[in-house]
Amino acid sequence: MFRYRIMATFLLCLVLMPLAAVAADDMEGPPGFDNWEAVLEEARGQTLNWHMWGGSDAWNSFVDIVYGGELMENYGVTLNRVPLADTVDAVNQVLSEEEAGVAHDEGSVDLIWINGENFKTLKQAGLLYGPWTLNVPNSKYLDWETGGFLLDFGEPIDYSEQPWAAGAFQWIYDTARMDAEDLPRSYAELGEWIGANPGRFTYVAPGPGAFQGTRIVKQLMYELCGGPEPFAAFDQSVWDECSPKAWEVLNAWEANLWREGATYPATANELNELFANGEVDFSLTLTGTGAARGIASGQLPETAKAYLFDANMISGFSYLAIPINSANKAAALVMGNLLVRPDMQAAQLDTNSLGTGATPVVDFSTLSEEEAQAFADIAAAIVGAADPAEFAALVPNTASEYHTLTEQNWERCVLRDEC
Amino acid sequence: MASISSRAPTSKSLARFLHYCAVAFLIFLLLTPLIAFFFNAFSFRWFYPQLFPKEISLRAWESIVASNSKVPEALLNSTILAVGVTLSSVIIGLPAARALGLYSFRGKRVIEFLIISPTIVPGIAVAMGLNINFIRWGLSGNLLGVGLVHLVPVMPYVVLTLSGVFSNYNPEYEQQARSLGAGMLATFWHVTLPAIFPGIVVASLFAYLISWSQYILTFLIGAGQVITMPVLLFSTASGSNNALTAAMSLVFVAPSILILTLTARYLSGKSSAIGGFGQL
Repeated sequence: MFRYRIMATFLLCLVLMPLAAVAADDMEGPPGFDNWEAVLEEARGQTLNWHMWGGSDAWNSFVDIVYGGELMENYGVTLNRVPLADTVDAVNQVLSEEEAGVAHDEGSVDLIWINGENFKTLKQAGLLYGPWTLNVPNSKYLDWETGGFLLDFGEPIDYSEQPWAAGAFQWIYDTARMDAEDLPRSYAELGEWIGANPGRFTYVAPGPGAFQGTRIVKQLMYELCGGPEPFAAFDQSVWDECSPKAWEVLNAWEANLWREGATYPATANELNELFANGEVDFSLTLTGTGAARGIASGQLPETAKAYLFDANMISGFSYLAIPINSANKAAALVMGNLLVRPDMQAAQLDTNSLGTGATPVVDFSTLSEEEAQAFADIAAAIVGAADPAEFAALVPNTASEYHTLTEQNWERCVLRDEC
Repeated sequence: MASISSRAPTSKSLARFLHYCAVAFLIFLLLTPLIAFFFNAFSFRWFYPQLFPKEISLRAWESIVASNSKVPEALLNSTILAVGVTLSSVIIGLPAARALGLYSFRGKRVIEFLIISPTIVPGIAVAMGLNINFIRWGLSGNLLGVGLVHLVPVMPYVVLTLSGVFSNYNPEYEQQARSLGAGMLATFWHVTLPAIFPGIVVASLFAYLISWSQYILTFLIGAGQVITMPVLLFSTASGSNNALTAAMSLVFVAPSILILTLTARYLSGKSSAIGGFGQL
């Protein structure tokens, strides 16, 4: 049991509810395909244009080498990874193509690494292919009942979005600078810590593309206003009552923040850099393996470690979606299927090899002893991850309205102090 | 007499001293960022307050030359685009520049304004509108379409530079050559071209540099199928791997520095090419 401790806390396997495994042959094909065989046949020879954020060297290499190699060798699919500076660029491309009247099998985007707002945009515009995620063979490894990924920022994924990595909000600190017992374990304690250590803390400014910052504020609201339950569905009165409390706390911090709160890091990467350079004492990550990948790539000191507060830490998922006008849907489906294959999920986790440290979404109860052991071995060798017991603090995200409201109001109420 | 003859060299050497100071200052301004890039590109775990990186590493360079690296493809695409855009912009720009430089006609100011207008309107506004049309015309996602859209920001600079050259150019030399029996082509080749050559070099340089550093237009019209150095650089810079970003930036600026060095003599103040900007 000890060896399973890390994975056991990655949320998804807390409630074990094995699905009836569906054999590939009697599974219905995804929309437009009779069965899975037809998908494989059509995919052969296609080029997959996978649009994904290109700022992570670790991700780029992993996708090119591991997925690219597997696609070419076993499926005859050529991978063309399209590096984006921002995922919204891919969404805009799909929207532009639709406006220009591009036929629904001639678009240039086949697959997008996506979540939250961008997913919602495509969904509302009716530009998503699907539902398909239940119609790929490896979907049997996911726990669709209780996996928690059916809502993406409160938006039902409608089986048109494939979860493939679990994320969890974690703080990062430097064990060389601070002892574990001195760490703040709640926002209230964090407030005291900031008061005692002026200039040593800041957080990512909430806003589009900086959802880590938004998450910090929403977690604070959880702590101030009775946990995640009131925020599960949108209720204007909850927002009206709770948000002023949050702004009050954040404004009270301000005088003792880095640069006295006159400016905030715009992205998690900027915060990470401030932390690595010793300007502030806390950074954050959403990757389940905490500081592991940052240490391996030299972006974090070797003594960095992740930890969680005692409660109200938001979890979330990375997804893939196929635009409705994709020219190579079969290849995209093959990739979607590949992403949740247990050995690929394990390879993804392994920061000591090519892996990015993204935590698996597969339900461990669907795995063989051997497959599960592979995860346990990898997890045991990871450095810089949070103490597994701390993952008990994970809670679901809010409905997306709160997300938008936080982004819209933080600047006015905290940065400009005009509320 | 003696005092006068000794004054001249003194003021001359002072002028020379000031000249060298100015040159040194300019070189300092230009090179300092590159030096920072250079250190970053070979560093690993380089954190404040270390003045110099403690750990030297070739990791960034290894990922640039790795088998999965997109840098070679991006360099090739960028080069094809820059060369193609430069050649076609000069060919398109020459007749327009000649007309604007040599003749005055009704509505000349309007035409000049229209030619400069792409430098006034934000590129993204043009690009969003063009993108839809380019998709319709099948020009999205290929080098031809991206090259065409690069011409939008490039043309003003090329036409203005060349029209400056033509405003200092006397077309009567061409008539002399023609009257001595030279054909149209021979006249262009032996008379016109040598006279305007420095201007063409400068215009080409502008065209090359603008095309080479184009991000948003390439990205939109390229639709992810045309990866160039700026596209790659922007996505890398959005991550936090400073070493890789720095190494890639060095690869990005190297060709420009090389070309600038080779064409530097045409950029000097004595060349007729620069004078043309006085027109604006």
